[in-house]
Amino acid sequence: MRGARLREAGWGYGFALVPIAVFGLFFVYPFIYAVYISFFHWGILGKQAGGHGTFNYSKVLHDPIFHTALKTIAEYTVAVVPLELALGLSLALLINQKIRGRNFFRSAFYFPSIASSVAITTIALYIFNANGLFNQITGSNRAWFADASTVLWSIVGLNAWTTSGTVMLFYLAALQSIPDDVYEAAAVDGTGAWRTFWRITFPLLKPAHFFCLVVFGIGALKLFDQAFIASMEPAAQTTRRPLRSSTSTTRRSITTTSASRRLRASSTSSSSSS
Amino acid sequence: MTLQTVAAADPFVPRKARKDVARKAAFYALMLVIAVIFFVPFLWTIMTSFKTIPDAVNVTSLPHPWTTSAWHTVWTQDHFPTYIKNSLFLAAVIVVCNIFLAGLGGYAFARLRFPGRDLLFLLVLGTLMVPDQLRLIPIFVMMVNWGLYGHFESYILINLVTATNLFFMRQYFLTIPKDFEEAAKLDGAGYFKTFWRVMLPLALPAMSALIILQFQGTWNDFFWPLILFGQGDTSHYTIQLGLAEYLFQYSSQVPQVMVGSILAIVPVLIIFLVFQRYFVSGVVSSGVKG
Repeated sequence: MRGARLREAGWGYGFALVPIAVFGLFFVYPFIYAVYISFFHWGILGKQAGGHGTFNYSKVLHDPIFHTALKTIAEYTVAVVPLELALGLSLALLINQKIRGRNFFRSAFYFPSIASSVAITTIALYIFNANGLFNQITGSNRAWFADASTVLWSIVGLNAWTTSGTVMLFYLAALQSIPDDVYEAAAVDGTGAWRTFWRITFPLLKPAHFFCLVVFGIGALKLFDQAFIASMEPAAQTTRRPLRSSTSTTRRSITTTSASRRLRASSTSSSSSS
Repeated sequence: MTLQTVAAADPFVPRKARKDVARKAAFYALMLVIAVIFFVPFLWTIMTSFKTIPDAVNVTSLPHPWTTSAWHTVWTQDHFPTYIKNSLFLAAVIVVCNIFLAGLGGYAFARLRFPGRDLLFLLVLGTLMVPDQLRLIPIFVMMVNWGLYGHFESYILINLVTATNLFFMRQYFLTIPKDFEEAAKLDGAGYFKTFWRVMLPLALPAMSALIILQFQGTWNDFFWPLILFGQGDTSHYTIQLGLAEYLFQYSSQVPQVMVGSILAIVPVLIIFLVFQRYFVSGVVSSGVKG
């Protein structure tokens, strides 16, 4: 009996070994390593003299670019999450009716969520540029993604649109788990549709609200692709709301001005000299 | 529209029903308007891809003349076939690794008893909280030191198995009745054989969802390919990296950029249309942002 249990444990460790090794090597270790680096002077040659301390933290906390970045991402998140949830819930309510072509509409609304963010942002840059489709229809002439005063709100709008499809799926699942008799009771009492929604449906969706708030709040804080691509908008070369921290105005390749190039330069030289 | 005409032609339809029909028609009209808003950007993209460069200025009109020259240029003069090949290769390798390893790990955490299992599982879930940006510099330094920087191996290594997939497989294995394993045991099957021949085939629905979502995730990934391959050597670019580079260098060649965008979207679109059911069930049950 004891041998069988030991054998099971052995196979258990064996099965879990590779996944655990991957998580240890590429998640836990980098996490610890990053924290370690943060307490030292760390230059292109690796660890430098000068002891350890929290100086890197105070440096970052006093960096105006970091302040701008924090403020921007806070504004973005506070704006985009309620919009995503409201749009997603509206779509879910529409889809949740007994209608023909339900699967078609569901797929149509969901598709922008899974399409490549780079491609979607690229298309948006052209549709919303100064002479783009949007301005031709509305008669405006603003370059939405190039103008420093509108770029953030353009990304908010773009991502609210693309993400609403995923939010819709979660709300749809939650709506379908609300039992019919609740609605029947409301109908017997003669409650109107509007009141039924606000007094019954909306409160019963509380777990879904909470779930979506957390999941899409985290998603919003991780914004990268759209902001990165939007900063490549041709007319935005001198856009000065630093959604990315580069202040360079000349561009040759996507990596010329990106952090990755600077990283590469520093890290390559550190490894070759060590 | 047709619903309304039917209602008007039938004198025996009570007043209330007519109102319902009108309401229904209005509802479908609203749905169609919303659907059109969702489709317009894609239709416009397809339309623009068939224009000539000077014609692309006329954003509201149909192509005049229709031409496939942008498609031809992108396909023959740029590296898009290479980008697509790279993306497909990475997606295929990573999907296969994830099915196998997430399946193995998920099965171990779901069914096999070994000391420290729950603690290790917490550790696995904990990795979900480590943001990519925090791992960026350490992983970059590691890859440079190992000589893997700029090679496909670096990207494959960090994506061999994800906690989301492992968790997803574990949850599915938990729903399979234990009878199957007991029957396999009686037949003398070992642990691996039970996993490989009995449990994995039973987990086919979960695997389908995993394949689709992981393919989509890898195909659309931009951040890590940018960090690991974005050094200007286009031979290792993925499709998303290639599209960004193209936008960067040739933003005035609007039809070509649109062709690139379509190429970056279409494979996921095809898979989505074929496997819609799994997309929906996978996203909802795993809680992954799609």
